[in-house]
Amino acid sequence: MCKGMSKICNNNGGGEMRKVITGNHAVSYGALLSRVEVIAAYPITPQTQIVELLSEFCAEGILRAKFVKVESEHSAMATCIGASAVGARAFTATSAQGLALMHELLHWAAGGRFPIVLANVNRAMAPGWSIWTDQNDSLSQRDTGWMQIYCESNQEVLDSVIQGYRIAEKVYIPLMLILDAFVLSHTSEIVDIPSQEEVDRYLPPFKPKFKLDPDDPHAFGGLLGPDHYMEIRYLLQKDMERALEVAKKADREFYEIFGRSYGIIEPYKCENAEIIMVTSGTITSTARTVIDKLREKGKKVGLLKIRMFRPFPSIDVKNVLLKAKKVLVIDRNISYGIGGIFFQEIKSVLYNEDKHLPIFGFIAGLGGRDVTPQILEEMIEYVEVHNKPEEPILWRGVKL
Amino acid sequence: MPISLSDTLYNKTGSWRTFRPVHRNKLPPCNKACPTGENIQEYIYLVLEKKYEEAYKEIKKDNPIPSITGRVCPHPCEVKCNRGKFDEPIAIHHIERFLGDFGLELKDEWNIKEKRERIAIIGSGPAGLACAYHLRKKGYKVKIFEAENQIGGMLRIGIPDYRLPKNILDKEIRKLEEMGIEMETGVRINYPPDLLKEYDSIFVATGAHISRKMGVTGEDLNGVISGLEFLKNLNLGGKVKIGKKVAVIGGGNTAIDAARCAMRLGAEVKILYRRSRNEMPAIESEVEEAEKEGVKIEFLTAPVRIIGENHRVSRLECIRMELGEPDESGRRRPIPIKGSEFILSFDTIISAIGEKVDLHPFKNIETTSWGVKIDEFGRTSQEKIFAGGDCVTGPSTVVKALEAGKRAAITIDCFLRGKPLPDFKKEESVSFENINLDYFEKERRIEPLKIDLQRRKKTFEEVWNSYKVETLIKEAKRCFSCGVCNKCDNCWVFCPDISIIRNKEYSVNYDYCKGCGICARECPRYVITMEEER
Amino acid sequence: MEGSKIMKIYEIPEQENMRPGHLACPGCGAALAMRYVLKALGDKTIISLPACCWSVIDGPFPYSSLRVPLFHCAFETAASTAAGVRAGLDVKGKEEVHVLAWAGDGGTFDIGIQALSGAAERNENIIYVCYDNEAYMNTGIQRSSATPFGAWTTTTPVKHYKNRPKKDIVAIMAAHRIPYVATTTVGFPNDLIRKMIKAKDIKGTKFIHIYAPCPTGWKCKPDDTIKISKLVVETAVFPLYEIEDGEKYTLNFMPKIKKPVSEYLKMQGRFRHLTEKEIEIIQKDVDFYWKKLLEKCNK
Repeated sequence: MCKGMSKICNNNGGGEMRKVITGNHAVSYGALLSRVEVIAAYPITPQTQIVELLSEFCAEGILRAKFVKVESEHSAMATCIGASAVGARAFTATSAQGLALMHELLHWAAGGRFPIVLANVNRAMAPGWSIWTDQNDSLSQRDTGWMQIYCESNQEVLDSVIQGYRIAEKVYIPLMLILDAFVLSHTSEIVDIPSQEEVDRYLPPFKPKFKLDPDDPHAFGGLLGPDHYMEIRYLLQKDMERALEVAKKADREFYEIFGRSYGIIEPYKCENAEIIMVTSGTITSTARTVIDKLREKGKKVGLLKIRMFRPFPSIDVKNVLLKAKKVLVIDRNISYGIGGIFFQEIKSVLYNEDKHLPIFGFIAGLGGRDVTPQILEEMIEYVEVHNKPEEPILWRGVKL
Repeated sequence: MPISLSDTLYNKTGSWRTFRPVHRNKLPPCNKACPTGENIQEYIYLVLEKKYEEAYKEIKKDNPIPSITGRVCPHPCEVKCNRGKFDEPIAIHHIERFLGDFGLELKDEWNIKEKRERIAIIGSGPAGLACAYHLRKKGYKVKIFEAENQIGGMLRIGIPDYRLPKNILDKEIRKLEEMGIEMETGVRINYPPDLLKEYDSIFVATGAHISRKMGVTGEDLNGVISGLEFLKNLNLGGKVKIGKKVAVIGGGNTAIDAARCAMRLGAEVKILYRRSRNEMPAIESEVEEAEKEGVKIEFLTAPVRIIGENHRVSRLECIRMELGEPDESGRRRPIPIKGSEFILSFDTIISAIGEKVDLHPFKNIETTSWGVKIDEFGRTSQEKIFAGGDCVTGPSTVVKALEAGKRAAITIDCFLRGKPLPDFKKEESVSFENINLDYFEKERRIEPLKIDLQRRKKTFEEVWNSYKVETLIKEAKRCFSCGVCNKCDNCWVFCPDISIIRNKEYSVNYDYCKGCGICARECPRYVITMEEER
Repeated sequence: MEGSKIMKIYEIPEQENMRPGHLACPGCGAALAMRYVLKALGDKTIISLPACCWSVIDGPFPYSSLRVPLFHCAFETAASTAAGVRAGLDVKGKEEVHVLAWAGDGGTFDIGIQALSGAAERNENIIYVCYDNEAYMNTGIQRSSATPFGAWTTTTPVKHYKNRPKKDIVAIMAAHRIPYVATTTVGFPNDLIRKMIKAKDIKGTKFIHIYAPCPTGWKCKPDDTIKISKLVVETAVFPLYEIEDGEKYTLNFMPKIKKPVSEYLKMQGRFRHLTEKEIEIIQKDVDFYWKKLLEKCNK
């Protein structure tokens, strides 16, 4: 039971509250404030606290939602889809193996255009059971049609749940918000918890265009031949493209009410930078300190945080990176057979430009291995002395 | 998300078919077996709907005297009833009697459009009454000439009260009179063509009234009487003297009726029949009744000579018979066993070995060895003269006579109106194999009750009671309704493609029917058949 | 126009919630099953429909043969999607709308059993109907754990016919102690309708196992459907019974004479290869379980 909960109970929409909470609990508060209606989740380390706190909220009657304690993650996503199909705001959370088990239904949720928000705690994929942070689980799902937002702090996590519903329900595409295992999920930070009244102003109730309704019966998702399938998928892509602007607008409006904004990317000290480091997740906060330190030394270095990975903010990314001379991308993931995934995406975004930028792809921190400031500094040094990468994959920290 | 916009009615799955189900009512075997073509299935259905008056009217379409046939008919319908092959046939006979009696109390409404033609009917037995009835319905002016003093022919003369009470017969005849049929009694027509001066057509229905002689010595002794004469005296006058020990020779209905009457008059009765039980032409239930009432039957026995004392019958010499090859009637020929003679004591001998047709009135009309010759339409060799009934066939049944009268009426009407003659042939009827027995449970046949046996033996009261309504309905429910849709809804219930249309008649929505055949299979009564899709 | 009230053999509701033009094979037992179930439940029903014959029968996009909303869901998710629909409806206060999970035997006995067991254990307020045609018919007649002993399927050809007994899904569901489990079949429309009407008024998980003959997969004639589904009950191969709260057994149909299984087997081509001995084995098995069932039902 967390302290200060009574404050929320008694506060019928008055003032914010500042608490020290873990990333997982930040998710829970985000879901609570978003007035989610159906929660279906299955426990998996390191997500368990999200659903534990939510079930307490439900039991206490603070959150008026149906919590379906499903028997696997696959069923969790199916249940969320069913709930969303009748017009309820659905929420789930999972990690690694659980997300992988959901894979078939992630396609279903996106193809079915259900604005579900899923909180994924980035955790390494087995075998070799590992509960520590790694981006492969969420990135393996990048083709399913879900939007993906990578968070750097617990505050961002809480805020992104709320923004997530706002964006998802506008474009009818589900959204995965991602936080690092243990580094965020189990680490307490100071978080401003907004008031329900403020969130209600920002996030209206979910009123879908289409829902299962006996008064207007239709069959959803029937046999779709070659004559029709492509158009349905084309429309999904078009809405994904639209989602970039929608996300930006949602973020701006979030700032108006709550005074916080994150953007879909965040350039940090990129003005006149010659080398730009591209990161995501918690590596970003380590990188900020490294960039500050190197800037003090006079180095023209900058940092680009990718917050929204799907849809990929190609134009915004290009606008920042093309001003530099060299780019290095740090992946806490790998697509076996080719290399880091953020690296591949950024290369492909910059490929057709007139200006040729050397891009360096580093892989570090797999399975929760610590990515220290030293490792980041060494990466910058490497980039300074090389005109182009010597290898397609630059592993850092491997002890072989 | 692909969301459906409309339904599947655009998809005419009827194109998948190679066979199509067709609802078509077929002829039930009972309807087919009834000589006068009663729509038995239909009136049983109306009984189930408690529409007794309509049921009665349905019978009256083909049969003018249901109260009578419901009492005396040998019911060939029940013999062919498909239910009989499952458990027991429907008691159609008793149902008809109920409806006939119900209708007797009603006033028949006839909307007769008078025609100018006049038809004379000679004979007021069932054939004559039927012909008169059907012609009168069509509007013709009809007059019946009856030689005896009362109307009815064999119905009055030959059938005892315990089978057909006279008041019932009188009520039926009155109904016919109320239709406008003229009837004159005590008139013997010796030469039918004479009537053509006044009448446009003549129907001859004089019946078969001449008793055959046994051809044995002693036949002229006191105490020997023909069955027909015995019954006639009983039925017309009421007082008949017979002895205490009575022999009845013969195996037909006349013999049985004579025996049972004699028994009721206090005699000890024995029937002697030259063949075995199987060959007896009498109605089986009547034979059983006779035996129950105490009449003894000696089979394979024939009379040789009658021995008298003081000009009265006292003994009968008999001989045993055995059965040889079939004769012209199809039955095995009885052959006397040499040396098997024996004597029995009787004081009365009633001979009921068959009747012959009096052929005298039929000069200039072609006859066969046993009666008037007619074609399949009832026409004799003389123009405008028609005939039917026992005078054509020899002794037969009431219902066959009704058929003959009806057929002749139709023919006469066609002849007078210049219409082409119809085809009297009947189609194939539904067989037992066509019935889907899954939908029926074995049940006993329910008949009405008979009066107490002791009362039966002493009085001429009618033996059979009528149905009570509850038992009538229970029995009627057993009817399979062979070949005729009774709206049980099975086809509609079991169609996976929701392609059965239920209006007044049931049919198939051929736009969607895939021809699976479930409806045809699950129709309990063979209304639906699968036909090749052309 | 309704049929004759006196002559009607079966009493089923009049309203049709399904239209013709659907894609079922001629004589399809599953099509009839859906027709009856929707008559009983009425049009305030939402269906969760996983991959099975019915996901094709309903018609391709953009057509649907049903007059109720229908959600095509992933193969193994009939029960979990239904649970989600139920949760969504309840949170919106629409508790009177029925939620029907409509799955085939594959999606119930095999791949869907996890979701079904989970939903049953939580006693989700849904009606789960498994229409059982005893194989993966939609994908071409492959064996499932509902395929009976001795049957031919494309993955159990005659030389390797299915040599394991049919999974007893009813016992499995009863073990979850849900309020209502029942077996029924399309040859007994009154029984089917009665059970669906009973189920819809119970709160909690209701599991109805409908035996639905498949002429295409069983190699029998299309018009055999009703006859076979009557025989399967009369031979006690598929008895009709109900289990309430996992404990109270009620037998719904006692055959006057229990017919021999050979009568049932010989109507279907998928059993044509069976020898006398094998049929005896099947008969023994049927008799054994019938006796056990009678004991449970106190008969």
